[in-house]
Amino acid sequence: MIYNRFKVVLPLLAMLLSQPATAGPMGFSESFMAMGDFNNNWRESFINYAITPRDAFGISATYMRADDKSKSRTLEEITYTRLLKRWNAPHAQANLWFQGGIGALQGEDKLVGENRDFDKVMITPGVQFDYETTRIYFQASHRLYRATDINHDYTSVRAGFSFYESDYDKTQPWFVLEARNMNGLSEKIEVTPMLRLINKSFFVEAGVNNSREPRFNFMYIF
Amino acid sequence: MKKLLLTTIVMSALLANVAFAAQTIKANVNGMVCAFCAQGIEKKMRALAQTQDVYVNLKQRIVAVELKEGQSLSDDKVKAIIKDAGYDVTSIEMSEHPVAHIKAELESKAGAKK
Repeated sequence: MIYNRFKVVLPLLAMLLSQPATAGPMGFSESFMAMGDFNNNWRESFINYAITPRDAFGISATYMRADDKSKSRTLEEITYTRLLKRWNAPHAQANLWFQGGIGALQGEDKLVGENRDFDKVMITPGVQFDYETTRIYFQASHRLYRATDINHDYTSVRAGFSFYESDYDKTQPWFVLEARNMNGLSEKIEVTPMLRLINKSFFVEAGVNNSREPRFNFMYIF
Repeated sequence: MKKLLLTTIVMSALLANVAFAAQTIKANVNGMVCAFCAQGIEKKMRALAQTQDVYVNLKQRIVAVELKEGQSLSDDKVKAIIKDAGYDVTSIEMSEHPVAHIKAELESKAGAKK
């Protein structure tokens, strides 16, 4: 019930807030951010450049596959990220991001007796909210992955805590638990506990999901 | 004549101290919770011609910018850089201590609290 509400409310929010843009992670003004998110069924590589403190353009390549391997998709897109709102408190920060893109989708459906290939244009608007202190972290995001007759909307919720506070130039370890779902590709919610290490210019995450598959993420700003 | 000589010596000593004292800007910053996100502040500050050294302390929410000898940096410029990096400056003060001293002082305070 709650999950269904979540699936309804966040897309509506995305529509309301949508401007031309993508979002999520971006670095400081005039910096590049590279990001990767890899497991068996979802592999995404992404790089963007922040042209202002709030806007970044980038390119992204994503491979998606159904749990039963009956469907596979590749998406190459141009992305835009926009920091819609930031709240700074003495010991906390919260952000609302818009993230979206447009690109070429290639798909393959392995049907009984035949294989069907197709090429379509896909659009991917979405929003992300995050809240963080030096000790706790929360993030919720929802992104539409839509093309004609295709809906692979992506929903993710993350929460975590740091094992201890650390100095600015030291590596800080975190425990992060993520639940996510890719509509039309997986019927289940993928749950992944991960260890995150944050340093000044990079962060890496690694874990094993509830299907006992490995997961690895990274971000790097330069 | 003696008074003039004494005054000159005292003034020289004072001016010498001013000339050799470090000038460090200490800004208190809201929202600075993550090194990965706050690195923009350090990089932008280090890119300034006036900057000698930079120190960021997440726990105490402080950004310290030590200036090169004879250089100055306006509060507005410091606030603008930190604002552009995504944070809010709540106060700014000048210190005559170099960044190394401020770092040692803040880290010893943090150590004492543990």
